[in-house]
Amino acid sequence: MSSVRSNGGTGNPVSILIVEDDAPTRWRISDALSRESEFSVAEAATLGEARQIVNASVPDVLLTDLQLPDGNGMELIREVKQRNGTTEIMVISILGDEESVISAILVGANGYLLKDAFPTDIADTVRNLLRGHSPISASIARFIVRRTQGGPGTNSRVSDLNTAKLTRREIDILWGIAKGFSYADIADHLGISRQTVPGYIKNIYRKLEVNTRGEAVFEALQQGLIKL
Amino acid sequence: MTDTLTIARPRDLRLPTYLGLQLIIMAACIFLLQLDPPRPPAQYQVLSAELRQDEAVWLAIALPHRHQRTRTDAPPFIYRMSFERAPTEASQPWAIFLPRFTSGVEVAVNGATILDSRLNPTAGRVDRNIPAIAPIPSALLRDGPNEITLRLFVWGPLTGYLDTIYVGPDTELRSSYDKRMLLFQTIPLILAAWQGTVGAILGFIWLSRRHEHAYGWLAAAMAVGVIQQFIPFPTHQILHGFLGASVPLESALVLHFAARFTGLKVSSRLGWFVFLPSLIILAASAIGDPEVVRTTYMLLGPASIGVFVVLTAVILGWSALFRSERSSFFLGSTLTAVLVFWVHDALTVLDALPGERIFLGRLSYSVVLIAIGIGLTLRVVQALNQADDFAGRLFRQVRDAEEKLRASFAREEERSRKEALAAERTRLMRDLHDGLGGQLVSIVALAEQQHGGSATVIGDAARAALKDLRLVIDAMEEIDGDLMLVLGSWRERISAQLRAHSIQLEWQVLTPGGLPIFPGLRPWHVIQVIRLLDEAVTNAVKHSGAKKLRVIIETIHDVPEEASGRISVEDDGSGFDLCIPRVAASPAHPRTGRGLLNMKRRAELCGALLTISSGQQGTRVSLILPSHFGTTPSADDRDGAAGERH
Repeated sequence: MSSVRSNGGTGNPVSILIVEDDAPTRWRISDALSRESEFSVAEAATLGEARQIVNASVPDVLLTDLQLPDGNGMELIREVKQRNGTTEIMVISILGDEESVISAILVGANGYLLKDAFPTDIADTVRNLLRGHSPISASIARFIVRRTQGGPGTNSRVSDLNTAKLTRREIDILWGIAKGFSYADIADHLGISRQTVPGYIKNIYRKLEVNTRGEAVFEALQQGLIKL
Repeated sequence: MTDTLTIARPRDLRLPTYLGLQLIIMAACIFLLQLDPPRPPAQYQVLSAELRQDEAVWLAIALPHRHQRTRTDAPPFIYRMSFERAPTEASQPWAIFLPRFTSGVEVAVNGATILDSRLNPTAGRVDRNIPAIAPIPSALLRDGPNEITLRLFVWGPLTGYLDTIYVGPDTELRSSYDKRMLLFQTIPLILAAWQGTVGAILGFIWLSRRHEHAYGWLAAAMAVGVIQQFIPFPTHQILHGFLGASVPLESALVLHFAARFTGLKVSSRLGWFVFLPSLIILAASAIGDPEVVRTTYMLLGPASIGVFVVLTAVILGWSALFRSERSSFFLGSTLTAVLVFWVHDALTVLDALPGERIFLGRLSYSVVLIAIGIGLTLRVVQALNQADDFAGRLFRQVRDAEEKLRASFAREEERSRKEALAAERTRLMRDLHDGLGGQLVSIVALAEQQHGGSATVIGDAARAALKDLRLVIDAMEEIDGDLMLVLGSWRERISAQLRAHSIQLEWQVLTPGGLPIFPGLRPWHVIQVIRLLDEAVTNAVKHSGAKKLRVIIETIHDVPEEASGRISVEDDGSGFDLCIPRVAASPAHPRTGRGLLNMKRRAELCGALLTISSGQQGTRVSLILPSHFGTTPSADDRDGAAGERH
């Protein structure tokens, strides 16, 4: 775990904030992470609680649901991103569906966590995230690449998803992920080093991210005006 | 005139080629003119005669004999000649044959008149070369010398002319007469009839297609030609005028035709100008003096005909040379032939040529007109064929366009189907997200808090339900037959499941790209395939005690030229007895039997081939996918598969 980031290199645990209104779900995620000594976990059930915690101290990792009783998790993601650009953010999703996940990616999230993920998987996902690996699922990759091709199914659909900046190689990597190939297979096939694949994915996320300082874009995203 | 450099060279050669060809045609025509029309044997000819100059003086002359006098109202020339008949020849009938004379003759033998050519109106046409023959009644003939008295009448524009005459047995003379009649009367009549027919066809074409002016002009020319054929001579003064005007008129009309045919723009003043000669000749005939008509005709007729024929030949030649029109090439060549015959006729009229006074210009002209007419008729037929072709092509194009339209409708339908599917999927996703999904997650969380016993089972069931929800949503996205896109998500789902049971997943894609594209792959197929595979994985997890699970994906070619796919799920577990009765499940693995039946049913629904082998080394489930998935969902395709979770 040498590459796992620790606060100031002092061995201080990584601070994680979990924002989830459904208590049993929040507890199981919290439990899964609290078992590990390297994490210090804070919980919030509402946007308001989360804001209080963030105001006190910006966490290293933010795991948030999008639909909260008093607002949308995207607002929180944006605020945290503005306060501290280095915070790793993931969305807690029930289905891992593109609509919620992509929206979160657009405002700066680096992936998603399924609410019913196994506890060990939850911890591993967060560790990988801290290691600089932005997890991407096959269905999200599929969603993104299908919007780069303008092929059938997307031809008449005006997509505001900004895929124009993606390079040929990045798109190839997304195709590989969408089709279930492992990072190793993809790297071998494309003739790149296996270690660089996560970096490519992180780049893809950054390229898709819209400028969250633009209020209009954010509002449009929240209201679902922007077609994904 | 958009010649490129490459064909500019041939054009340099075109003028010499054309002129050379015209020279050859001229030579051929001159050769034709050298051929003499048929004559009887020379022994029957009467070569010497006496011509009465004044009231009493007879002057010996030789035949053929030409006069310089041209006045038409003068009294006839009187010839006297004699011939011998041997007594031995008395048994057969004799005749007198006059191959050529202008313009009319009256013949008497031994004082009795036996022939008057003026009684046959067509014989009076000086341009026709009509011969005359008359049997000599045997009562008139004497053994020894006999006397012929011949009165030559002169009319028309020509001077008097009397060719050698023949006297002898009728059988010896008749065949030459018949041949000449065929050449100079029957054939022109046939040509005239033909010309009339073609002219009528062209006229009808022009009447129904008024913008085809060329047809109209040529039809008019042919009409004039046919009418003049049937005008006798001598006749009424006005008709004389028309006869004189007919050929200048015809050639003027043909000139108009040539201009229209080649697309030459002619100003209307110039257009009318060419009719002036014929109008003047007609006007002269109205005055009434035959001599005036004759003079006018001699002044204007041949000259204008010559000018018009030359102009026509030049126009057609120009069109043939500079516009590369093949039809002009052909017409120009025929006009050259007419020109040669016209020159010959003109020289004959002027008595500048020796030999028999035969006119062929009219004949050649008729032939050319008919050739042109046939050419134009063929052009119409060709145009009709082209129109048919065009109609056919149009028909095909319309049909193609219709097919394209239909295809585009089909595409549009397909597109809207996909859009509807996408919209439905989004709606369902939101519903599940907000409702069922959240509750299932809560169940998972709550069950986990209870630890062990039935809580674990409940948790697993809720998790399986969530997994299935994700499958349904996944399958609903349009993947255009690329099953690999679904397998990618499936891999993620089963790897989480296998990790939880500490089973290692080995994912092997043997062929580059994995599986081929399956046309006709629909969401319901995807759901069946993935549930089948889920079943295989779940069996391995639950019952086999396996440590490792291998998924193998490959493209296979069972049928040549048709790629299909095989997905295999192998485990290293303990295996199970495949002979488990289908209905009653084994007590050891109570649900395995039902699971197998379900898998078989799903494979059948998709038309896939499922083989399962199981033994001590593990179980292998192999699914061979059809290269084309059926287009209609089977009847019981969607019935309660959700209840079969384990």
